Amino acid sequence: MEARILLVEDDPSIREVTAIGLRNAGFTVETADDGRAGLDRFAAAAPPFDLVLLDVMLPRLDGLEVAREIRRTSTVPIVMLTARADTIDVVVGLEAGADDYVRKPFEIPELVARVRAALRRGAGTRRDDGVDAAGAGTPLRLGPLVIDIAGRSVSRDGTHEEIPLTRTEFDLLVDLAQHPGQVLARDTLLDRIWGYDYLGDSRLVDVAVGRLRAKVELDPSDPQLILTVRGAGYKAAR
Amino acid sequence: MRWAPAEMRWPDLGIGRPSLRVRWPRGVRARLAGALVLLVAATSVVLGVGASVFVDARLHEQALQDAAAQARFDLTVTVPGRQLPAEPSIDDVARSGLTDTFRRRDVESVIDLGAGETVLSNDRLRDLLERLPADVPARVGRGELAYTWLDVGGTPSLVVGGLAPGGDLAVYFVRDVSGIQAALDQLRGALLVGAAVLILLALLAARIVARGILLPIEEAGHTAERIERGDLLARVPVTSRDEFGVWADRFNRMTDTLAESIRRLEVAQHQNRRFVADVSHELRTPVTALVAEASIVREHLDELPPESRRAAELLVNDVGRLRNLVEELMELSRFDADAEEVSLEKVDLGRLIESVRAARSPKARFEAPSKRVMVEADPRRLERILGNFLDNAREHAADAEVEIELDARRSDEIVIAVSDRGPGVPDDRLEMIFDRFTKVDPSRSGGSSGLGLAIAAEHAALMGGYLQAMNRDGGGLRLELILPKDVARSLHPGDASAT
Repeated sequence: MEARILLVEDDPSIREVTAIGLRNAGFTVETADDGRAGLDRFAAAAPPFDLVLLDVMLPRLDGLEVAREIRRTSTVPIVMLTARADTIDVVVGLEAGADDYVRKPFEIPELVARVRAALRRGAGTRRDDGVDAAGAGTPLRLGPLVIDIAGRSVSRDGTHEEIPLTRTEFDLLVDLAQHPGQVLARDTLLDRIWGYDYLGDSRLVDVAVGRLRAKVELDPSDPQLILTVRGAGYKAAR
Repeated sequence: MRWAPAEMRWPDLGIGRPSLRVRWPRGVRARLAGALVLLVAATSVVLGVGASVFVDARLHEQALQDAAAQARFDLTVTVPGRQLPAEPSIDDVARSGLTDTFRRRDVESVIDLGAGETVLSNDRLRDLLERLPADVPARVGRGELAYTWLDVGGTPSLVVGGLAPGGDLAVYFVRDVSGIQAALDQLRGALLVGAAVLILLALLAARIVARGILLPIEEAGHTAERIERGDLLARVPVTSRDEFGVWADRFNRMTDTLAESIRRLEVAQHQNRRFVADVSHELRTPVTALVAEASIVREHLDELPPESRRAAELLVNDVGRLRNLVEELMELSRFDADAEEVSLEKVDLGRLIESVRAARSPKARFEAPSKRVMVEADPRRLERILGNFLDNAREHAADAEVEIELDARRSDEIVIAVSDRGPGVPDDRLEMIFDRFTKVDPSRSGGSSGLGLAIAAEHAALMGGYLQAMNRDGGGLRLELILPKDVARSLHPGDASAT
């Protein structure tokens, strides 16, 4: 299947070479050169895009705003292109709804790897396999949450209202819920959910957990389902 | 007077021995007070002794004159008035009531009739004649008035003797002069009290004068402290036209000059850094494009015709170098702009080192200590420092010869060291290798920008640590990161944003 990618980047050279690199890797790429145009193109796309690559610094509407807007209606994977890895930009970008980020300057293979990892999430072909097959019939539970792995939906007991999770958040929830009481280190989660072999950015995990808690915990400031184990990682309540 | 610590800080002029058990205050105040008290005391002693001696002499002279006049009167008027017979008997004299008459004037008397016969006004005078110095009765015998100062029955007395007309009777008048001593004692007491009051006044004066001298000095001291802390606007108040006022004025002018120089340097440095930041920022976008483009070219090097393949290869490498340079410049610019924040978390150092080693320098040797080493630190900065150490080692020595050590045995510090077996660094240049753009061997312009270790040093400083470099025995360089065990405490409160 050819994934369709929307690339929003204002610098013509970077935009063009990135599009070439992605096409070489087998993706279909459409481009936009500012935030507003990117948002319009995303809304108008049929069928919808499978992934959005978003520069942070964009004219007219910056990448963070674009990400927030997209998140209002869609759980599509968003990968940010950010100038610096060690600033607040990254955290703000992740909190705005991005699933992952790639630091500029980047090499094309590196970008393609991140894009593939993001597309793989929630596609039923996770590395930590055996998960989907085993859980297919009976719904997974975590406290009051009912997780339907095959249907990729989560709802709270007694309601049939689906809690909208991005694929990253969903995978994270499933991974934690499948190992109740077991501490999962940030590095482990980075490897299993984001596909980083080494030296991933642990803030990816922290921000994703924060976003997940905001959606599934009754009081996100006092989490009961997804617990922090200081200095080690996270675990699901038993 | 209270000796505040601030006063003790004024320069010790070398007075007093430190071995002395009693530590004398050595400040200006103490010295001034000491000098004044000494002066007042000396003056008081000289004046007091002089006054007592003078008054003493005057009082004795006065008493003597009075006694002599009275004696003359008595010998020439009172005694003849009794009309004693010639060669009177002792009874004649006793009956005459002369001694009683004298006594009524508070004068005791001894009347000597010669041949051992005497009439006494008081029994205490029994041995008076024997105790008189020999010249007194001798002069009396010649008809002169003679006197002496004598202690009579415990009372200081003046004895004046004379011969009555006719030469039969020698009369010795004995006057109590203890009043003179009493007056002198009173005078000395008054002088002592006066001296004490003067000394107190001197102390007070010393305090006031010292205050006048020291206040501006103390203010100048505070000003100097403020300047030391970086407040270049601090100035010494010029309140007088004396020597101190002149000094304060010069001091202020010096500070003006210094402040101006520092400001100029700061502006120049700021402009310089600003320029570097702007340039690297502007370079970032084209470098991003170049890096992406070069990465595609690299994938297809084999398909290029031979005449352009090598050039493309070089292009790809040079893009990599350019990228490193720009990224490092930007990183340093962020340090210069103080835009860096430390985010602390619990880090398992052994694990962190192992993962950096595996990623960056797989052939380097590392043996984690058996006991886990956990610290609160910023893992991204640790990775950066260690990565730069390893890059440096790899550049100068083969991977296989690189060794990483983690030593947490010191009580308050942790050492992470990377050692290589490369050529090392000349000892006189060791200190400089953490400076920007330092290349030990200028002929080697390999892949490194010369900024890697400078960046590592900045990261270390942000975490309260520092870097050290040393040559190894047997050749090679050893780079050390020394990190406080308690990073959080070594940072100023507010610097650390815990995650």
